Amino acid sequence: MATADSGLKPLQNAMKMAKVAIQLDGGSRHKEAYCEYLRTINYISHALLEEAESQNEKEMVAVEGERMLRLAEQCLERAKSFIGKSAEPPELSASAPASSCLSPGQSQPDQTAVPPGTVITNTVPPSDLPVDAECKATSPTKAGHRRVLSEGGGERSPFLPPEVFQRLQTVESQDRSKKGLTPIEEASRLNQKLKANYEARLARLTPGQAYQKTSLTLSLQRQMMENLIIAKARQDALQRKMEERRLRLQEEANRRFSASGAMTAEDQEQRVLYANVLEYEQDHDWPKLWKANMKTNPEDVTLVSGLVSFLLSQSDHPVVRLLRKHQYRVYNRLYPIVSKGLPQSPAVPLRPSRSSHNLLHPETQRKPTSTAGSSVGAQSFNTDCSLSPSLSHDLNTNYDDEEVEEQVTVERENSFEDLEQFLTQLDWAPPHGSMDDTCYDSELTCNSSVQPEQDDTQISDLETRALKEHLKAIVKDIHIAIDQLLSLCLLSFECLNTASSKDLCLASIEEAFFTPLWSALVALFRKVHRERELAFETSSKLYRDASPGDVGVPLKLFPQDPGALQGSYPYESAVQELRLLTKDCCPQRKLECIVRVLRLICACAEDYRCLHEVESTPKTAAIGADDLLPILSYVALRCQCPQLVSECAALEEFIHEGYLIGEEGYCLTSMQSALAYVESLHTAGTHLSADKFI
Amino acid sequence: MAAGGAGGNSGSGNRTYSFKVVLLGEGCVGKTSLVLRYCENKFNDKHITTLQASFLTKKLNITGKRVNLAIWDTAGQERFHALGPIYYRDSNGAILVYDITDEDSFQKVKNWVKELRKMLGNEICLCIVGNKIDLDKDRHVSVEEAESYAESVGAKHYHTSAKLNKGIEELFLDLCKRMMETAQAEERLKGNGASQSASSRRGVQIVDDEPQATPAGGCCSSG
Repeated sequence: MATADSGLKPLQNAMKMAKVAIQLDGGSRHKEAYCEYLRTINYISHALLEEAESQNEKEMVAVEGERMLRLAEQCLERAKSFIGKSAEPPELSASAPASSCLSPGQSQPDQTAVPPGTVITNTVPPSDLPVDAECKATSPTKAGHRRVLSEGGGERSPFLPPEVFQRLQTVESQDRSKKGLTPIEEASRLNQKLKANYEARLARLTPGQAYQKTSLTLSLQRQMMENLIIAKARQDALQRKMEERRLRLQEEANRRFSASGAMTAEDQEQRVLYANVLEYEQDHDWPKLWKANMKTNPEDVTLVSGLVSFLLSQSDHPVVRLLRKHQYRVYNRLYPIVSKGLPQSPAVPLRPSRSSHNLLHPETQRKPTSTAGSSVGAQSFNTDCSLSPSLSHDLNTNYDDEEVEEQVTVERENSFEDLEQFLTQLDWAPPHGSMDDTCYDSELTCNSSVQPEQDDTQISDLETRALKEHLKAIVKDIHIAIDQLLSLCLLSFECLNTASSKDLCLASIEEAFFTPLWSALVALFRKVHRERELAFETSSKLYRDASPGDVGVPLKLFPQDPGALQGSYPYESAVQELRLLTKDCCPQRKLECIVRVLRLICACAEDYRCLHEVESTPKTAAIGADDLLPILSYVALRCQCPQLVSECAALEEFIHEGYLIGEEGYCLTSMQSALAYVESLHTAGTHLSADKFI
Repeated sequence: MAAGGAGGNSGSGNRTYSFKVVLLGEGCVGKTSLVLRYCENKFNDKHITTLQASFLTKKLNITGKRVNLAIWDTAGQERFHALGPIYYRDSNGAILVYDITDEDSFQKVKNWVKELRKMLGNEICLCIVGNKIDLDKDRHVSVEEAESYAESVGAKHYHTSAKLNKGIEELFLDLCKRMMETAQAEERLKGNGASQSASSRRGVQIVDDEPQATPAGGCCSSG
C-alpha cells in the first residue's frame, strides 16, 4: 500500500494511507485499521526523516512537514484508542501460541516416564524456543516475565503467569459478548467518523484556502462537542436508571433470602451475586426461554445438560464470572509454588537474578501488610517480608543452599527485632481459611527463615509441612468455590434443583472449573507426595520385568506361556488404559478411567481363567478382591507412572462424596491400595516372595 | 447411583438408605462365595457388576424402607493388611468371615475386630461369620468360643454355608436392620430437620427419592 507513486508528494501519500485506515476503522476491522494507522505513521516519519537529512526544500518543509506531523499525531491517537478500548487485539494473537506451547496438560504425558525430580524444571522441550520467542515478540508483559525467569538459573516453568492465565480465561468472553455501546462510546465513534471526514476534506483543500479550513475546523469542533454533550446526558440518565434497577433487584434478592435471620458474610455475598443474576436476566432473554422450555418438558433430560452447557458458555453470566474469579484466585495461589519447580539438588547456586523473579510478584509480596494477619506473629512477619521480599522468596526456592545462611544473618541485622519477636511465635499454628493466599506464602518463608541453622532434614520437614498446609488450604478453597458455584447455579435456575439435575450441574461445573487448573494443581500434589512418588519409581524400576506371579497373582489368572500373548504381556490393555489417566484434566473423567481399568482387569482375568479351565475342571468363581488387588498392583507396576500417586491423592480430595460409596469409590480405593503396595515393594522384597502363592 | 445431594427430610417412609459394608476375611474362608451367593440367589446376574465379586450392590426393601447396599470386598492377604483402613473408612457395617475348620482364620478375625473398633468406634455394626458349616465334622473353632467372643466385642455371630446357601440371607437382613437402627439413632441425636451440614463424611445417606421407583427389592422383607 505504501508503494508511493513517484509523482505524488509525501503528504498526499500519507493522506491516502490515512484514508484507507479510516475506512477500515469505519468498517470495524480494528486490527487492520490499527496496522494501517501504524503504517501511515511509519511512512510519515520515514518521509520526514529523509527530508530532514537531505535539507533541500526548506520552504516546503515548514508547511507540509507540520501537516504531516499533525496527521501522524491523529493516526497515533486513533491507534492508541484501539489499545485503550480493548487491550486484546495485539495480545490476543500472542496468547494463543502461548497456550499451545505452554499448556502443561499437553506436555504431561511425555513426562510420565521421567523421574519426578526433573519433571517440572527440565522437560520444556527445545522445540519450545522459537515459540517462546514469538511470545516475547508479541506480548510485552509476558515476554518480560519469561525472560527473567529463564535468566534466573535456567529455571523454566511450564506454567503461565497468573495474569496470562487470567487473560486466557477471559479471552473468549471478549470474543463472544459484543455488548451494545454506551452512549459515550457511540458518540466518540461518531466523532471519529466526523473527524475522518474532516481530514479527508481538508486534504482536498489547496494550501491557499485557509478560510475554508478554519470554518471546517470550527464546525467540526462544534459538532463534536454537541455530540459529546448529548451523549453525556444520555449516559447519565442511563446510569441513573441502571442504578435504580440495581437497587430494586438487590432488594428483590434480599427479599428472597430474608427468611434467614443473622447474616453472615457469605449470605451477603450470595445476595449480591443473586442480584447480579437478576440484573443479567433483565438484559438477556435466554434464561427465560430455557426456563419456560424446561417447564413444558420436565421429562427431557437432555434439556438439563443443554442448559448447563449453554450457561457455562455465556461468559458474562454471573455464574461464569464467579467461576473465572475462583479459578484465577486458585491459580494465583498455586503459581508461586508450582512455578518454582520441584526441590532441586543442593548444588544449585544462588543466582542474583533469582530475586528479580520475585520482583515480578510485588503485589503478592506486599499485600500482606494491608490485609493484616489475624495474629501478632503473622503481622510482624508480614512487615518483615515486605522489607526484603527478594530474600524471603529465595529462601523458598533454595532451602539447602549454604548461601542462605549467610543471607539470613544479614537479614537478621536488618530486622532483628522482627525475627526475635517471630521466634517466640514459632509454634503458632497458622489460622486457616480466613487468610489471604499471600499469608500462606509468607508462612512458607516464615518457617524456613527462622531456623536456617538446623539440619537439612528438619528444614525439608518444615518445607513439607508448609506445603501440606498450603495444599490443604487450597483444597478447602476449591471445595468452597465449587459449593458457591453450584448454589448460584441453582439459584439462577431453580428448575435444576432436583437430585439428578444437581448432579449433572455439579459435574459440568467441576469439569469447567478443573480443566484449566488441573496441571498446576497436580504439580502441587506432586510436590507434597514427592517421597511417595520416588518410592513408587524405585519399585517400578526394581520390578520392571516381574511376572504377575511375582506380585501374588494366582497362576490361573495369567498365562504362563509367554507365546500365548503374542509379544505383549498379561493385562496390557489395562496398563494402556491406566496410562491415559494423566491425560484427562477433570477428576470425574479420571475416575471413569480408573473404573475402566478395573473392568478391563476383570475381563482379562476371566479370559485367562477360561484358557486354564480348558484342561482342568471348570469351577467358576468370580474375581474377588483377593485376586483383584494383586493384579491391579501388577498393572500399576507395569504402568511406570509415578504421577499416578499424586493424581489419585488429588482425586480423593475432589471426588464427590456420593461417588465414594459406589463402584467409582471402590475402584479409586483399590487403585490407592495397589499404589501403596507398589510403593512398599522395594523395601519389602523378601516378604514378597514368601507369600507368593497365597 | 445418586451422588451428592444427601439432603433428606425425615418423617416419611419415602427415602433410601445407602450403606457401605466391608467384607473382611483371610484368603480361603470363602467370603467371595458368600457374597456372590447372596447377590446371585434372589436376583439374576445383572446384580453382579462388571467388577465381578469385588464390589457388589444390592437393593432391599425392609419394612417399607428402601436400602441400597454396597458390599466392598477386601484382599485377605497379609501384605495388603496395612491398606485395610482406606477400605473400611466410612463403613456402616463389616462382615468378618472365618472358616470354622481353620483356627488361624478366627484369630485373624479377632485382629480385625480390634482394628475396626479402634478406627471406627462403636458406630460400625460388626458381624462375625463362621463359614463352611457343611464341614462341621472338621470344626476347629467351637461354637461357644466364637459366640462368646462375638458378644464380648459387641458383635453378632452367624453360621453360614455358602455351599449349601445356609444362613446368608439372615445374616444380611439382620445386618441391614441393625444399620438402619444405628442410622436412625444418629439422626435422632442430630435432631430432626436440622440442616445436614455434610460435615461428616460417613456413608449414611438419606436420599430423597421420587416415589415412582419400582418396588424392586420387595421380596427381601420376608426374611
